[in-house]
Amino acid sequence: MNAVPGAAMVATTALAALVVLLLLAVAGEHARRNRQVARELARRARLTPLVHDLLDGEPIDGDDALDPLLDEMVLDLLPQLRGSDRDTLTALLLERGVVDRATEELGHRAAWRRGRAVTLLGNAASPRHTPLLAELLGDPVADVRCAAARALGKTGDPAAIGPLLSALVADRPVTAGVVGMAVLDIGTPALPELRRALGAPSTVVQQMAATVLGLHGDPLASHALTTTVADPAAVPELRCAAAEALGRIGMPSATATLCAVLDAGRRPALQRAAATALGRICDPAGLDALVVGLGSPDRDVRATCAEALTASGPAGRRRLAARDSGTDATPAPRPREAQAAR
Amino acid sequence: MTHVLVVDDDPVIADLVAFRLGRLGLDVTVENDGQAGLAAARQLHPDLIVLDWMMPRMNGLEVCAALRADADPELARTPVLLLTAKAQEPDLERGFAAGATDYVVKPFSPRELASRVTAALPPGSVLA
Repeated sequence: MNAVPGAAMVATTALAALVVLLLLAVAGEHARRNRQVARELARRARLTPLVHDLLDGEPIDGDDALDPLLDEMVLDLLPQLRGSDRDTLTALLLERGVVDRATEELGHRAAWRRGRAVTLLGNAASPRHTPLLAELLGDPVADVRCAAARALGKTGDPAAIGPLLSALVADRPVTAGVVGMAVLDIGTPALPELRRALGAPSTVVQQMAATVLGLHGDPLASHALTTTVADPAAVPELRCAAAEALGRIGMPSATATLCAVLDAGRRPALQRAAATALGRICDPAGLDALVVGLGSPDRDVRATCAEALTASGPAGRRRLAARDSGTDATPAPRPREAQAAR
Repeated sequence: MTHVLVVDDDPVIADLVAFRLGRLGLDVTVENDGQAGLAAARQLHPDLIVLDWMMPRMNGLEVCAALRADADPELARTPVLLLTAKAQEPDLERGFAAGATDYVVKPFSPRELASRVTAALPPGSVLA
């Protein structure tokens, strides 16, 4: 009869001992990590003046110069810098063999090693690694492909535009957001390639090119984008992207085409894109079309036209107020447009 | 000695900016969040403030607006240089609307930043 309480007591004691052991292990691990963090902070504090000396072109020596944490600190700093300080640190990484070691790791069997190497090369931002990084846009692991795209963006090398855009439609694609940010990172040197990409066979590539050209506000792309918006055979999403881009570019030469698209009243999404673009361009010649758009059977088109008139400045706001009060002389949409829009 | 307050939650960037400004012969104080930065500005009355935008506790725009609204007219006029990764046109407009004197976008050139600080300070404030 006493055997059961005795066994229970033993089990309870064993369990309590296990819990105590577990708590001690957790506390020990926390203490170990805290000591590790404190040691690294102290090392970083010791190495920071060395990094600054390097920026002043002063040679460094001693044990601290061999500390691998110095390379990590430089790599952390690089993405935040540009100009001569960045060039100095990039040269240092080359000199210390960091870049060569990363290049060797690009073909490593472990995906995390490939990804780390790609990121490092991106931070070093050397265009001489563009072909190697471009190859990794086809890596079997999606994270590595994304890291390669980001790294190519940081190189600032316009030769990366072609591979980046192709990665959008590859068998193992890179997501559009990542490609878009990478292409934007390359900056204005990308513009000639992006203008050429407006004529690419893939609509996805054309759409990306149109969007980024618009974000850059590239006036030289205005004509090609206007042609795309006006092309009824083009994919609607591409026409919308081109219209949005024209709005960002802000060239009044696009006004007539955008007005015609808004007036045609067949595709509400395209009409909204055209109206927003007209509001951004602020060309007085676009106001009539926007006022007509206020009578669209599509509620969202009407709302976008009202927003665009507001964004068009005092003249647009006056027209909107006049329309609201019934004193605007602009004719209502013709029945044909209203029917087509339905 | 001309005194500059650097407020940035990234200690690596703050140290680098302090280093570059120190090379100009400026006396530099570093703070790592907006609230501490505002308190330091009120206490130290720096000649110029380099201010990050995205920071814990109080962001750079809030600090900038608080400085411009300060009862002390001298502190309210202190030049503020915003140093931020927010690079869009509306961001710049918001920065200047909050009272920033100048705006530098990350990734940034520390030497360019030093030149902008020099330009914002009275002549003779920095070493030639």
